[in-house]
Amino acid sequence: MYRIGVDVGGTFTDFTVFGEAEGRVWFFKVPSTPHDPSEAIQLGVRQIIDALALDPKSITHLGHGTTVATNMIIERRGVPTGLLTTKGFRDALEVARQVRPNLYDYGQRKPEPLVDRFNRLEVNERIGARGEVVDPLDRVQLDGAVATLRRNGVQSVAICFMHSYRNPAHEAVAKEAVQRLMPDAFVSVSSEVLPEFREYERMSTTVLNAYVGPRMRTYLDQFLARMRDLGIAAEPYTIHSNGGLLSARTVAAFPVRTCLSGPAAGVVGAAVIGAAVGARDLVTFDVGGTSTDVSLIKDGRPLFTSNRTVAEYPVKSPMIDIHVIGAGGGSIGWLDDAGALKVGPRSAGAVPGPAAYDRGGTEATLTDANIVMRRLNPEALLRGRMPISYARAHAVIEDRIARPLGISVEAAAHGMVRIANANMSRAIRSVSTERGHDLSKFALFAFGGAGALHGAEVARECGIGSMIVPQEPGTMCARGVLLSPLSFDYVRSEIMPAGEEAWRRVCEIFRDMWAEGSAWLDGERVPAERRAFRLFLDARYLGQNHEVVVPMPAVSADGLDDFLARFRQAHEQEYGYAIAGRTVEIVNCRLQAIGDVPQAPLKPPAGGGTLEAALIDRRDVYFGGVDGFLRTPIYDRDTLPQDATLSGPAIIEEMSSTLLVLPGQMAALDTAGNIHVRKHS
Amino acid sequence: MTGPVARKFDPIAMEVFSNRLLSITEDMGNNLIRSSFSTNIKERRDCSVGLFDALGRLVCQATHIPLHLGSLQGSVTAVLARYSADTIHEGDAFICNDPYLANGTHLPDITIVTPVFHAGRLAFFTANVGHHSDVGGSVPGSIDGGARSIFSEGIRIPVIRIVRAGELDEDLLNLIVQNTREPEERLLDLKVQIATNERGAAAVLELVEQMGFAAVQAAIEDILDYTARRLRNRIRELAPGSYSYTGYLDDDGSGVADPVPIRVSVHVEGEDLHFDFAGSGPQAKGAVNLTFSALEAVVYYAVKALLDPGLMPNNGMFAPIKVTAPSGTIVNADPGGAVGARASSCQRVAGAIFGAFHDLLPEHKRYAQHNNACPALTFSGPRGDRPGRYVYLETLGGGAGASLEQDGMHAIHVHITNTQNLPAEALEIEYSLLVEEYGIVRDSGGSGRRRGGLGIGRQIRATRDGTIFSVRSEGHVVPADGLAGGGPGGTAKLWKNPGRPGTKLLHSKAAFIELAAGDAIRLETPGGGGYGPPAERPAEALARDLRDDLISREKAERDYGSQKVTEAERILEARSGA
Repeated sequence: MYRIGVDVGGTFTDFTVFGEAEGRVWFFKVPSTPHDPSEAIQLGVRQIIDALALDPKSITHLGHGTTVATNMIIERRGVPTGLLTTKGFRDALEVARQVRPNLYDYGQRKPEPLVDRFNRLEVNERIGARGEVVDPLDRVQLDGAVATLRRNGVQSVAICFMHSYRNPAHEAVAKEAVQRLMPDAFVSVSSEVLPEFREYERMSTTVLNAYVGPRMRTYLDQFLARMRDLGIAAEPYTIHSNGGLLSARTVAAFPVRTCLSGPAAGVVGAAVIGAAVGARDLVTFDVGGTSTDVSLIKDGRPLFTSNRTVAEYPVKSPMIDIHVIGAGGGSIGWLDDAGALKVGPRSAGAVPGPAAYDRGGTEATLTDANIVMRRLNPEALLRGRMPISYARAHAVIEDRIARPLGISVEAAAHGMVRIANANMSRAIRSVSTERGHDLSKFALFAFGGAGALHGAEVARECGIGSMIVPQEPGTMCARGVLLSPLSFDYVRSEIMPAGEEAWRRVCEIFRDMWAEGSAWLDGERVPAERRAFRLFLDARYLGQNHEVVVPMPAVSADGLDDFLARFRQAHEQEYGYAIAGRTVEIVNCRLQAIGDVPQAPLKPPAGGGTLEAALIDRRDVYFGGVDGFLRTPIYDRDTLPQDATLSGPAIIEEMSSTLLVLPGQMAALDTAGNIHVRKHS
Repeated sequence: MTGPVARKFDPIAMEVFSNRLLSITEDMGNNLIRSSFSTNIKERRDCSVGLFDALGRLVCQATHIPLHLGSLQGSVTAVLARYSADTIHEGDAFICNDPYLANGTHLPDITIVTPVFHAGRLAFFTANVGHHSDVGGSVPGSIDGGARSIFSEGIRIPVIRIVRAGELDEDLLNLIVQNTREPEERLLDLKVQIATNERGAAAVLELVEQMGFAAVQAAIEDILDYTARRLRNRIRELAPGSYSYTGYLDDDGSGVADPVPIRVSVHVEGEDLHFDFAGSGPQAKGAVNLTFSALEAVVYYAVKALLDPGLMPNNGMFAPIKVTAPSGTIVNADPGGAVGARASSCQRVAGAIFGAFHDLLPEHKRYAQHNNACPALTFSGPRGDRPGRYVYLETLGGGAGASLEQDGMHAIHVHITNTQNLPAEALEIEYSLLVEEYGIVRDSGGSGRRRGGLGIGRQIRATRDGTIFSVRSEGHVVPADGLAGGGPGGTAKLWKNPGRPGTKLLHSKAAFIELAAGDAIRLETPGGGGYGPPAERPAEALARDLRDDLISREKAERDYGSQKVTEAERILEARSGA
């Protein structure tokens, strides 16, 4: 039996195959096909079937991370969308939070709403803060509004009324009207998509869901058809932004939940792999071509947020808290007119890419700097499949950086890497102190094409003691898909001071959500023994406008005091103090329904050879002004012996990545095939 | 590069060092926001943190509110003016807020300054400022637009040693917090402010430990030199000469309706900029005055926004800039003048500086005037679900000015402020109020080749008797000017019970208006100015404006001419027929 994880990226589509009987993993990569991403998936899966001589029926699980929804938003390729909202609120989407994106630069603009104003229509109705009907719904006027949207050629309708999280009755009537009068339209209803208070964020999430809905459905249909063509019987899953899997039917209704799905899989994978070797507090460090993703894993669990944006539009569904930094292999180094050297935020991207790729790139990128220092293989990458022009890399660094600064080419390249590392380190420190964590207790989990290349220096700069690099870090997100459970998040907003009466209501809400979650798990055919529910309460002190998330092992009738104690503890961790005697206010109830996917244990890689046999080359690598060039052994990761321990300086190459071990550091393999790098003891 | 360079400038070391410094201020900022209690600091992020060297020069600042640019510097300067370096000891910390005695900008902004010692010598200062939601005075929130003197605005704190050799002066702290309306929250937030500086101090000392004191000092000099050099490069690109602009404030806050001029002359002198405010109106009777620190902060903000948004806020940035203003004017009040509601005037000062730069900047960098207001609404009334009264304060944005390439943004905060709104649902859960409308205001964008952004309309209904409403608004008389032939933005308007019996237009500084259940207040904020002659607006763009109801047919005909309107309508008809 085989399980396949897929991550669709901008340039490559990555595959990880897990053979349950063999207890091992295979990695594949094919070029992505942006016009129809499922084409590359089909191509890749067919290659896997051929290469491993599989019976398609033996593929019992196929999950994928996709950027289809995200790209549709970024490139504004969704369908013409309409909005029905409460009288007086059609511009909530436009006003947003009334802030400008940059304090000083008026060239940076608020994003244009995804629904044009003439398609944002108001309905005469009003529900108050306690769910009471202030003004009844005017059905005649509602039908008129729907008819207008139909006439305007709208294909998808978002419905978001005031306080609908508390009383969804009016939204339900509006949904029925749209279904009756526009039977072909996609409908996205705020009380179904995100029944949580704060109208702008709920409206934005509901509108994004509507905007990407129809095309996402088309994509899913193509994807499912292609998998059926391949003879795969298992139902394919999609990973969502909270790092869980969803069936196609759920994704079709809530496509907005797949925004940022690929990176989330990488973080979930990191948490599982780390926990398996006892590393439960991690900083994930995923360095790609144009950006670097950073997130925290505490106690084996990724940290979540519901404050993320996609192309600056808020998406309020819970997501793994990933911070994106505009620094990656393609980041461009440049000098300003006052003599400073900067790296990024501009990137050469995949096209033209670094000068060394010889595809027309003429700017000095971080990859070029790594090639000049010979940290990256100066002849070819991707196991020889991608030739490198050392001469071009050398020339751009010399022309653009070294000569104007009057320093050597190596020093210029090293300067660029130091600056990029300093930028990345600052982001890591900021992410951790924002949540009140002490980095010295964390390990850096480096992946992505270039994570292991920069990780050792970044860890040192941040005061992180060790680095863990998984196998084939360049395809980590595809592997993460294999390590993710099924999951779906539910939320209900009801704001009330925590007391006996409120607690009874909390118990009721959780009972309802539990039933809903169970029904969903039934639909996903998850057997009882693989089900789990995680419960959370968002709460704050009276007078605050900012909630902390309180994880609850269970919610029972006599659980109020336990909750209050946990709240104080969570407040202390999050904000550094608790206030005795102050009233606590409950804001949101959250439930995550989880269906665990069976995961056979990974056997340690075979690798019975010797260190000498894994040594494929030696080259002079630049380590900065003090060390200069050092003769450095180059190892092939796939043939490293299982108990290998080696001292820096050293470089370990594999298909999708290059790992740099600094002088004074040592690297060792663990039983799961990860490499640990730390200071030489 | 200019000036004698004694030691070789190391751009790589500087960039690495500057990231480390930014990490320290970011960490301080994160800690202050994370740990504070009050919404003002935690949610609206009305706070800033900074690191200074032993001479009191700003090295690095993390700012969330542009008005704090320079106001932290003022506090550190005040500490050094009050206490000579040899009387400052390890473990001390200072507190201040006073606009006249400690270079503050208004009383709610309380600053803590903490000296940092290395090897027994004063080496740095860490500092932070937070806007406290109340510091006493005549009204809850401590900002009374009608205040006539600083003495009615709250507790005045000159530079005081609040921590002495590691020992917090609890008596003094108690005196301060008991002079405010919510002592428990003030106590909590002030302790967080003190702890934030200590955290910053430990981080700086760790950096010194890593790099050595001499290397840190050298890198600081590099950063300050670099920043000054970078700004001077921008100034050298400007045509030398003098450029003036006069903007107007609706009135002086005292109820007299004469617009007050705010005049700035910008002198470009080689590599330096001199801002002179002679010709500005006399000191206001109401609380709309600026102290000199506030004026400097607005100038620094404007220079950064106009010339180099990425410029690091540090002493190097201040070096090429000179600010002068006659005393006893609205932009440089004499001691004692009320300053609480300085925000509106600061916006007008920023607008005047932007205006003066119109002839200095390349065409694509010029903006028609933004809304240049910061209207604040205050509702107070009985709580429904528990005893006591609530106080709800909110500031509203407006339209942004248009530019050569683009229409102005709708509904944003500009210049010295950028705080988020309170969601209508959150507001209704918390207070006995109901939001009837929250949208953009038709016809409020200045006409032009590029249209000015639209202002905000917010209409709120009281759901209980005994609700009290006050406002400090601006731009009801003087609109945002258009540029290069563009029309002005719409002015602000304030009504009680709009569109229902008993409608009444209210004054922009109306105070203590009593509302019964069912009464509503509506404020429409100013729009931004237009850019370029309206005749040059593409019919396609006007068609979109009409389709989206951003402009009425009447205003369109008046400003753009009936021929263009007909053309635009034809475009719309063709499209709906297709």
